[in-house]
Amino acid sequence: MSNFEDADTEETVTCLQMTVYHPAQLQSGVFQSIRFYNREKLPSSEVVKFGRNSNICHYTFQDKQVSRVQFSLQLFKKFDSSILSFEIKNMSKKTNLIVDNRELGYLNKMDLPYKCMVRFGEYQFLIEKEDGESLEFFETQFILSPRSLLQENNWPPQKPVPEYGTYSYCSTQNTSPTEMDENEL
Amino acid sequence: MDKPLTVLRVSLYHPTQGPAVFANIPLQLQHDISPLLVGRGQDAHLRLQLPSLSRRHLSLEPYREKGSSLLVFCLKALSRRGCVWVNGLTLRFLEQVPLGAVNRVSFSGIQMVVHVEGGMSLEAFVCCFHLSPLPLIYRPQAEETDEWESIPQEQPPPGSGQQAPGHLGFLHDPSQTRDSPPQPSPGGGTEIQLQREPPDGMLC
Repeated sequence: MSNFEDADTEETVTCLQMTVYHPAQLQSGVFQSIRFYNREKLPSSEVVKFGRNSNICHYTFQDKQVSRVQFSLQLFKKFDSSILSFEIKNMSKKTNLIVDNRELGYLNKMDLPYKCMVRFGEYQFLIEKEDGESLEFFETQFILSPRSLLQENNWPPQKPVPEYGTYSYCSTQNTSPTEMDENEL
Repeated sequence: MDKPLTVLRVSLYHPTQGPAVFANIPLQLQHDISPLLVGRGQDAHLRLQLPSLSRRHLSLEPYREKGSSLLVFCLKALSRRGCVWVNGLTLRFLEQVPLGAVNRVSFSGIQMVVHVEGGMSLEAFVCCFHLSPLPLIYRPQAEETDEWESIPQEQPPPGSGQQAPGHLGFLHDPSQTRDSPPQPSPGGGTEIQLQREPPDGMLC
């Protein structure tokens, strides 16, 4: 298999995984244009737009309440870094974009953290980035969440759960009567 | 009532091929709030006819800072081969820097000075172009700290970049650019003598 042995070493690609949820997702078909679980490879210089207008946007939502272009994501490289970072920009005049607890108005942008919750209207996006070597391409993947991401991931983050227990062992007092063998009395 | 548009006053210079390089430059260009692409390619909004330029060489991306009503710009390098020198900083592929009120930019022998006059409109902005027959960016006055210049590199390795005849040095030390603070002073720090505006050739 000389082709395999002689070929250039493959570079890993930066991957952006987006887990999405909308409370009416089953009835309304808002996500019908999204190819869930499909890994899409895009050039790193691409500005990826999300919104209602399929002529402009890369990823569209079938929802009249979504702006024609709701928000965009683009890659850039920080100085003295070998990896790619993402920027998110609100492109909606009507709706603010909430990234974790920061609110972005129209044309405001910010660096996207490695893992964050992006919200607008009733839409929830849990976005997670996995670093890769390639500066040429990146990948996206959409996952559909069956339940709200705000509860699923305990968002906003709460105190860590103890490794061997649950909250009930640690925090609550046992108020139920203890059973005793009558012979012990 | 329409809000005033942000105006980018762009002066351009090339040492040898000005008329050819800038043949497609209009007097004025109005653009929406998508990034303005500069390069050799057909899809560039600002098309420059220079073979050493990438099809998409750089972009000017409008955005808004939190709490501000003005449109501001971020310059991003899109060329894989070449680099873009901006206000003392060398940008390589996908690196970007916010622009200030006055900006000195150089790429592939082209010199570009961009003055940003912020406007309230968030719909569009306007570029006004001026072709300069004389260099726009000069070596600055000596400053308090020791600073030495070198010819900016357009391609690695150092020293092998093409130098245009009559090209004057920039305040550009490759080792210093990497040590520069993340937010370089947008054109305000060093003294740069801008050529007096020639009476002819004023397009905007």
